Amino acid sequence: MDLSKGKQLIEGPLKLVGLGIESIVEGAKAAGANVVEVTFQPPAGGDATRMRALAKLFEPPLAEKIDAANQIALERLLESRPTLVGVGVAREVIPGMSDDLILHAGPPITWERMAGPLRGAIIGGLIYEGKATTPEEAEALAASGKIRFDPCHHHHAVGPMAGVVTASMPVWIVEDMAGANAGNRTYCTLNEGLGKVLRFGAYNDEVVTRLKFIERTLGPVLGRTMAGRGPIDLKMIMAQALQMGDEGHNRNRAGTSLLFRELAPAMVRFGGEAEDVAKCLDFISKNDHFILNLTMPMAKCMLMATEGIAHATVLSVMARNGTDFGIQVASMPGRWFTGPAQLIRGLYFPGFTDEHANPDIGDSAITETAGFGAFCMAAAPAIVQFVGGTVNDALKNSRQMGRITVGKNSLFQIPALGFEGSPTGIDVRLVEEKNQLPVINTGIAHKAAGVGQVGAGLVSPPWECFHQALTAIVEQENA
Amino acid sequence: MKEKLVVRKGAYHDSAFLMRVTRQLKGISNIFDAVVVMGTPMNLELLAASNFMGEALESVTPMDMVVALRGASADAIAVAEQELEKLLQGGEQQTGDESAGLPIDLTTALTQNPDAQLVSVSVPGTYAAYVASRALDADRHVFLFSDNVSVEDELALKTRALEKGLFVMGPDCGTAIIAGVGLGFANRVRQGRIGVVGASGTGMQELTSLICEQEGEGISQAIGTGGRDLSKAIGARMTDLGLRVLAADPGTDVICVVAKHPADEVADRVHTILEGLGKPVVVRYMGNAVRPSTSNVFYASTIDEAAQAAARLARGEPLTFSKQCSGCGDACFKADKIKEGRVIPKRLIGLYSGGSLAYEAALFLQQKGIAVHEPKVAMKSSGPIEFDGNLVIDTGEDFYTVGKPHPMVDQTVRCELIEKVGADKSVGVLLLDVVLGDGSHADPAPELVAAVNAAKAARGSDDLLVLASITGTELDPQDLSRQKAILKAAGILVAPTASKAARIASELLA
Repeated sequence: MDLSKGKQLIEGPLKLVGLGIESIVEGAKAAGANVVEVTFQPPAGGDATRMRALAKLFEPPLAEKIDAANQIALERLLESRPTLVGVGVAREVIPGMSDDLILHAGPPITWERMAGPLRGAIIGGLIYEGKATTPEEAEALAASGKIRFDPCHHHHAVGPMAGVVTASMPVWIVEDMAGANAGNRTYCTLNEGLGKVLRFGAYNDEVVTRLKFIERTLGPVLGRTMAGRGPIDLKMIMAQALQMGDEGHNRNRAGTSLLFRELAPAMVRFGGEAEDVAKCLDFISKNDHFILNLTMPMAKCMLMATEGIAHATVLSVMARNGTDFGIQVASMPGRWFTGPAQLIRGLYFPGFTDEHANPDIGDSAITETAGFGAFCMAAAPAIVQFVGGTVNDALKNSRQMGRITVGKNSLFQIPALGFEGSPTGIDVRLVEEKNQLPVINTGIAHKAAGVGQVGAGLVSPPWECFHQALTAIVEQENA
Repeated sequence: MKEKLVVRKGAYHDSAFLMRVTRQLKGISNIFDAVVVMGTPMNLELLAASNFMGEALESVTPMDMVVALRGASADAIAVAEQELEKLLQGGEQQTGDESAGLPIDLTTALTQNPDAQLVSVSVPGTYAAYVASRALDADRHVFLFSDNVSVEDELALKTRALEKGLFVMGPDCGTAIIAGVGLGFANRVRQGRIGVVGASGTGMQELTSLICEQEGEGISQAIGTGGRDLSKAIGARMTDLGLRVLAADPGTDVICVVAKHPADEVADRVHTILEGLGKPVVVRYMGNAVRPSTSNVFYASTIDEAAQAAARLARGEPLTFSKQCSGCGDACFKADKIKEGRVIPKRLIGLYSGGSLAYEAALFLQQKGIAVHEPKVAMKSSGPIEFDGNLVIDTGEDFYTVGKPHPMVDQTVRCELIEKVGADKSVGVLLLDVVLGDGSHADPAPELVAAVNAAKAARGSDDLLVLASITGTELDPQDLSRQKAILKAAGILVAPTASKAARIASELLA
């Protein structure tokens, strides 16, 4: 019997960590012991079976296997080098894409269960593709079964808000240039700007006209630009943007400006007709969020590098379709754990309130999954209004996310936290243990199809996702 | 209704900031609507949708801030404008400490304090095993005060702990004194040469207090193990570790074991361990027949005797015990003297706060041939006494404490029962315990006195004898002498130990 630790204990001086009733350690304090008091949070939602399962995942030797796998996941995520290589047309470049297929944000869902904004975007997509001329026709077609729906994530793509991708849309092509997963490619459409836009479920003429401009002008101009100038390292842009007040999800002003600097000269040189290039430059410069559709596939590309690592318990996907929230775990790629999409705690544009809000929607939570967005709230003082209004609240938020992640991204530094790396790699075990859900920055879509954005705020996944994931992890480890 | 529409030229603010300003202005009483936005075309549309229109908006640019207010009166609008000014000034106090207010969780605390050897756990029982398991993951000892932990969880925790050479003191471990520091309910004792391993909270408190207060010796360590450690299922896992650590401790000369009703085969196995420790050992097993002592393992018949024996061994004196009640001092407690010629009803009721003390009293009385009942449901706080005969009641039993603090902390339930039982003319002897020390009620005697006085007043006759024992030391925060004096002044007889109180009670019934 090993008596060394017991002997060490009774030798003192005693220092202890106390959880629970305060009076239990009163005497110890009176006796001069060093007492660290801890705030207790019920783990695993207080469910006895899950708690036992969770305890096992933290117990060696299994814990050592999981920890090692999560470290590999973190390393792969860090060593990946997502690079913008070009622009293509969805039907030609996205794996499995076809004319009768519409991609959408979040986990799989049927037309019957789709929320207003997603339905609106699909109506708009069908009109845009010329498959319907009126919203009624589009709805009938969508409900007919002749059109297939599939999550963007099943095709290495991501889409903000409704995330609708149809076959004719131009898409960014992002390729991993380094590490074990070099060659992985991810995709995303080009950002339409704010106001009435397809991704918020708007489908009027203005929306369709803009989509046509993107297809006929913006896509080809940027395609020629990229072919002429060569690849752009996206992580470098993200790293700089974080130093300039962006968090990479709700605040994209610096990143868009940096991208603009990279693109503008080459657009003039390789883009084609001067008038077309001017229109495109104007379009990009007026859209603060233009880079979001690049940081999202960048994040997807980083996380793809973690997929399939046995025993890893970090998340590789968080995504919402407006009805359901879905997550995926790195060791079980392709398997969704879902629960109801939540309402956003937010601030509204004038004239709108909670009543108008649709539950959480979009693949953009891929940014938080990869360790930026709300996880870097402390980097974006301009939008601290969303987390309570003070800069301290934002710093606290980033620190809090540090508790549920397995490491830091040394490239994505947060100046206000002493250039600490962004908290990266959301561990299902830590979320369950700390009773702390990941926080996501997001826009709020109107619940009716066709209205658009009504505000922005913070949201978290529902607990169901994590409870299911935990159960599945345990089943997998027991198998 | 009043409206105000103001454009501030070149006053740029971020949209997220303005959304918060808008929300705060809307919250002002008598303000019906408020919009503060930059003058972008999209925002102007939104303003129009909220019925804010006017000439002022015609030359607005996206670099201008538009303030639109609608309220019940000009005053309300003025208040909103003042608030707007304040918000635009900004500059909330920054503490500079970004983790201020962020709660510390267990793993963070353990990472930040690598030198903390022990985790004290008193969270609700459902979560206790999880927390204890996490402490073991981090290679820390556990003091597990929580109860309602299953035997399976206890076994798993202790098996793992033992593999790592770590203590899991508990579950349901009320007391420990480690390196001079009391945990849970513990009395403040002098440092000394006697080490204790105990599966009984108040038993350990009584033993350690008596060793100091009565015998003038001191305690090196008191290692709690939880009440079930000597059961067949748990097999004395932590008792074993505790004994071996004390055997190896140069600060411990004599080892004491106190436990309630161990399983015979476990007691046999523990005896083998005790024989091999190389130090003199004193054992008090409550509820079992006293085992035959051997050359270096002495089995005592009461906690008092165990305390005496340990002290003598620590001083190197022979183990002889006087049958005289030498420690009683002034009280002397002759039954005749106490009764002063009164005829006392021959019914006894004990109302205890300490579980082991109640247990030992009931055992003692039964050994003296006095039938005692220990009801397994809670006695009601009023009305006639629902149970027949002599009763020993532990008000710390689960059915008294569901959703309530322990009677050692909060005496409300016990005091109600004192009033009810003491007022009943069929009862002649009321037996109480008072447990002092850290964690316990800060000043128990006055409340007990008030309850006893109320009972006597309701009773209207002076044929009730109240007998109390106090577990505690002069070092305890409640002040042992003062507590004693308060009880005595109210006519309550104070016995020096719980088992002596029970003995005197038995004589009073004779």
